[in-house]
Amino acid sequence: MGISTISDWTGQIGELVIGATRSEGGTRSRTLKVGGEKDLNGIGNAPLGYPAVVAYEIADDPDLWPAVARHAVGDASSDPAAWARFAEAEIRPDLIRLYCTSTRRRGFSDCAAIRKTVEEVLQATSLPISIEGSNDPAIDSEVYQKIGEAAAGERILLGTAEAGRYRSVAAAAMAYGHSIIAQSPIDINLAKQLNILLREIGIPRDRIAIDPYTGALGYGFEYSYSVMERIRTAALKGDEDLAMPMISSAVDSLTIKEVREAEGEDADRIAVAWELYAMLPAYLAGAAIVSVRHPETVPLIRDACSSLFQVHPGGGE
Amino acid sequence: MPTVTFLPSFRKVEIVKGSTILEAAQKAGFHINVVCGGQGKCGKCKVIVKSGRTEFDHEQYESILSAAEVEDGVCLACQAKVIDDLRVVIPDATLVQEQQILVDSGEIPTALNPAVWKYFLTLVPPSLDDQSPDLTRLLWEIEKSGGPKERAIYAPLEVIRRIPRVLRDSGWKITATVALVPGGYRLIHVEKGDTASHIYGAAVDLGTTTIVVYIRNLADGHIMGIGSSYNHQISCGEDILSRVTYAKSGGGLTKLQSLAVDSINVALTEASNSAGIDREDIYEVVVAGNTIMTHILMGIDPAYMIEEPYVPVVRRYLTTAAQRIGLAVGENSGLFIFPAVSDFIGGDIIADILASGMAESEEISLLIDIGTNFEVVLGNRDWMFTCAGAAGPALEGGEVLFGMRANPGAIERITIDPVTLVPSFSTIHNQKPKGICGSGLIDLLAQLLEACVIDRTGRINMTIAHERIRMGRHVPEFVVAWKDETAIGRDIVVTENDIKALIMSKASVLAACQTLMNKAGIARGEISRIFFAGAFGNYLDKNHAITIGLIPEVPVGRVTGIGNGAIAGANIALLNRRKKKVLDEIAEKIAYVELNAEPAFMDEYTRSCFLPHTDLSLFPDVETKLGQCRIRRGST
Repeated sequence: MGISTISDWTGQIGELVIGATRSEGGTRSRTLKVGGEKDLNGIGNAPLGYPAVVAYEIADDPDLWPAVARHAVGDASSDPAAWARFAEAEIRPDLIRLYCTSTRRRGFSDCAAIRKTVEEVLQATSLPISIEGSNDPAIDSEVYQKIGEAAAGERILLGTAEAGRYRSVAAAAMAYGHSIIAQSPIDINLAKQLNILLREIGIPRDRIAIDPYTGALGYGFEYSYSVMERIRTAALKGDEDLAMPMISSAVDSLTIKEVREAEGEDADRIAVAWELYAMLPAYLAGAAIVSVRHPETVPLIRDACSSLFQVHPGGGE
Repeated sequence: MPTVTFLPSFRKVEIVKGSTILEAAQKAGFHINVVCGGQGKCGKCKVIVKSGRTEFDHEQYESILSAAEVEDGVCLACQAKVIDDLRVVIPDATLVQEQQILVDSGEIPTALNPAVWKYFLTLVPPSLDDQSPDLTRLLWEIEKSGGPKERAIYAPLEVIRRIPRVLRDSGWKITATVALVPGGYRLIHVEKGDTASHIYGAAVDLGTTTIVVYIRNLADGHIMGIGSSYNHQISCGEDILSRVTYAKSGGGLTKLQSLAVDSINVALTEASNSAGIDREDIYEVVVAGNTIMTHILMGIDPAYMIEEPYVPVVRRYLTTAAQRIGLAVGENSGLFIFPAVSDFIGGDIIADILASGMAESEEISLLIDIGTNFEVVLGNRDWMFTCAGAAGPALEGGEVLFGMRANPGAIERITIDPVTLVPSFSTIHNQKPKGICGSGLIDLLAQLLEACVIDRTGRINMTIAHERIRMGRHVPEFVVAWKDETAIGRDIVVTENDIKALIMSKASVLAACQTLMNKAGIARGEISRIFFAGAFGNYLDKNHAITIGLIPEVPVGRVTGIGNGAIAGANIALLNRRKKKVLDEIAEKIAYVELNAEPAFMDEYTRSCFLPHTDLSLFPDVETKLGQCRIRRGST
């Protein structure tokens, strides 16, 4: 016996394409489509959108990265290009997310290095790419310009725009044909407001992914879940300013006390569990892209999401 | 006792050793800024001690006083104790400045049905044939002149005592005054000769900051005189909570009560003088004020209203003899106090409702009274919801770098050229600008938004290359007036932080409106009228108020300023006693919505922290206009 999952939503989530193949002006081996859902994830009416995109996160300055994630890939973490190459070959995510953590260091000024890193990573992997730039209005403009330019034509997902600093990210995305991640602090209204701001400076709706910000399990995750659910239902009810695919990142999960203080094999086990058990409900709440840092989480979260994606429209078994 | 001499006026006052300089200044009649209520926290009451000994710990207040100030003898009036004879300079900045007080209440058409009447009577003197008593003789004559029946009029002892002398001294030609009070008709005055035309009443708006008095001729309803005054309680704390705190201190309530009475008397005297009438001929006083103010005026302890569960002592109108609380009007004159609904919805709001006429109309109205706190009422003659909240001081110019109250020199109107971004402005009394008051700030916000200088969250677009758009000390800012144009020798700017504070203030008002509308299931199209009560509402640009989303979008013609609704309502109740009956009904009918207990309110607030609102479909005309502004901006 199954329960009926017929519902009468009127809205549909917009589609977002990440990556460009040679024929599209880029160098990626494939593109990713996210969005398109007409119902809640895991249930309901077709189209159900696309299966979850699993992103794996790497950093250009691994000192500013959780030790447990760093150790799990060994020497590969010392060089972003090597790390990306290793990821594509061994970890097999759908998307690689490069965090330019070097820009977070005090007094950072080497924008040429960022450009070089981006170019090398793009050469090292053929997977679609998402890149996280700086987080400081003083350098944002130059950093995003460099990233955007270095990845021109690759249709990357550029992060992160926030209500307080979105112009630099948006300018780079518009100039070089990228899409952007719009992050707001766990609030449906703030998410909508940012999307309106982005629309008004010229970012089309199909070039935005909403990041409602995901707290770690036990550290506010339930708020993130609730907000994602509300964003999704508002979009399905027809609110076009919220009808973009969502990205959820377990960014906080590996920095919490339980993971930091775990030792030996426990450390990996706990880290993977913490990411997995945050990202699976995030997918259920509506996230199209789930993003993790521990390599072992990648296949697990992919299998878990796929098992939920295989449903029969209209209920039944 | 030591003598304190205040300079530059050389006003002297004797005061008990150990009293504060503030107490001495109050005794001398100075109105000193005491924002914190005399706790030594706000630093607004700086005075300079020129000679004499005080007890004041400079080190304790080094965060408030600079080294140079300490050198000059500056100390805090509320903390410095008088030890022996002092000479003290009170700087201008320490005195409460003259403000634009809204006295205009418009002309209110209401039927003339006062609760007091005068009868000029010529009595037949008694004789052995007619030995009826003086009082009976008098009351019979009132009945014969069309007044109430003899048996229905109560005569108090103090009036009876006057009767035999007045009747005989006047040659049996007297004027009797009868009032209708809750107990029935009452003979309140008997005087010689014909004074029937000297029958006046006073309507009083007892505000936290200001007091306004109208004197009306109760024979024909005309305005005779208008007076206003500061609420002298301001020296015991600027906001209402610090007043309540003060009331809790020993003797505090008594002092506040007498300061309130003094303030009303000052305004009454001014109004009587301008009317050329004797205050003794004022036979009824009607007071509308917020709940705390009216409690204090009546000497009722307001302390329990500001603690959970926030209950006032009374929710019905109050009456007593005006002289009993010290008002300088005729002996036996009545005092009528407007009823209050809750701690935050006082008689002033009931007066607003009365003045707007919304309680007598089938159409649905929204009434908004904005000050530091705001009150919103939604409804019609059958139902009403109300709520109150804190708007923060930004709309009154507080917490804004160059914000100021509506004093002379305040920028009150601003337009910004959308192409050149050059502002043009006007100031109160056309003086060189000193700062920006609430109505100017609303204009500024709307014009900066229309010129695309700020985005919908109020952030300044620093990518625009323009001399007026620049990085300030900490945050971006927009230059409204260059220093050469100002009276303060500094550029007058509005910063991104100021704009944020304004948006938070406007958001709380809009969120309150939306919350009540949701509660009542009313869409904005069903609102027939929006009434703005209060000074701020009267001066602001209604189009701009809608553009920024201070109020819901309705056709601007539906928005009406009713000015000082409290004084307007008090006038109506004074002239038309039948309306007094309506007041208790209104007070009973209104459902008070406690916003803090309303889960949807915070959501509404966040939605409203956007210009004009996160749900743009609620502001279709504003959206069309802003869309055109963006296109124009993009093409320049």
